[in-house]
Amino acid sequence: MSGSLQNLSGLDRVIHEPARLTLVALLSSVESADFLFLLKESGLTKGNLSVHLSRLEEARYVQAEKTFRGKIPHTEYKLTSKGKSAFDQYRKSLGSIFNKKA
Amino acid sequence: MNVQIDTVMKRARGYWFVDGFTEMVAGGLFVLLAGILFSHGNSPQTSFQSWFPLIIREVSIAKFFGLLAAALILWWLKDHFTYPRTGFVRGNRVTAAQLFIVLRNAILFLLLPLFGLLAAALFVASAGSVLSSMPVWFPVGVSLIWAVLFVLAGEWLGLRRFRLLAVLILLTGIKVGIGQFAMGLPALPINLQSGILQPPVLEIINHTLRSLGFLVLASGVILMVSGIVTFLRYRKENPTPYTEAV
Repeated sequence: MSGSLQNLSGLDRVIHEPARLTLVALLSSVESADFLFLLKESGLTKGNLSVHLSRLEEARYVQAEKTFRGKIPHTEYKLTSKGKSAFDQYRKSLGSIFNKKA
Repeated sequence: MNVQIDTVMKRARGYWFVDGFTEMVAGGLFVLLAGILFSHGNSPQTSFQSWFPLIIREVSIAKFFGLLAAALILWWLKDHFTYPRTGFVRGNRVTAAQLFIVLRNAILFLLLPLFGLLAAALFVASAGSVLSSMPVWFPVGVSLIWAVLFVLAGEWLGLRRFRLLAVLILLTGIKVGIGQFAMGLPALPINLQSGILQPPVLEIINHTLRSLGFLVLASGVILMVSGIVTFLRYRKENPTPYTEAV
């Protein structure tokens, strides 16, 4: 197996899924964001978004914080340090796959 | 793939500008500053020593309280209009190093144009020539700096309309410069009587303030129009708060 293909097989499966990759990319640029922002920007359905966020939470890439905005309960999601380093690593791996000549 | 990821990241970064409120409020602040510059550019100045600290103080106070008011207005508008429609985003926390850069840039933003004017005035006191062409070139130079900042910000935030704003502001600066030239002000340095307290030099400074005032006013209007267009588009796409839409 060539080095590039080894890199490909070593890609983080949690982040590699397109919907989760979008969510992680969105959260990587901000401190935190709420469910509605992620829903609008990702174009996912509410059910799908919940499932993908749960998957990211299980992997400890994303942390949910329940707060109140006025009297309304509000959940914000933020990328953990583990999630940030996983995303950085994923981008590096992806870059090295495409940059290497076959 | 990385390009698409970058696009998604830029969308999140540029979310602050999604509704046009920031441009509208910034435009209003520019119009306020233009008013101060016009008021000084139109009033006869007899004492440079008393006049210069006065304008520094007024512009700095207007910018400080203007920015404070702008932040409060933006917070209220976003809380009541934007967040219920397209969600809430908390920007990245600012580190000490980033805070230092922001403060340094804010101070430069507050004082640089005026210190540039002072430096030129002091220079003319010894050289006696360059200041005469400032009303023509000062707005061109300032608009060029702003245009570069808008292009860089547009790239970082993924906002293509910022490129258009950069072009419009640069063209405005050039137009103001040409306008000053058409009024008979020199585009090339000519000898003035030495000394910053001399009437010809004060006259030139007043002309420069007026030309800067035109640039700031026009830039403010451009920002406000851009903000209104962005707001109308945003409102069309998100007519009601999300909870009411479902």
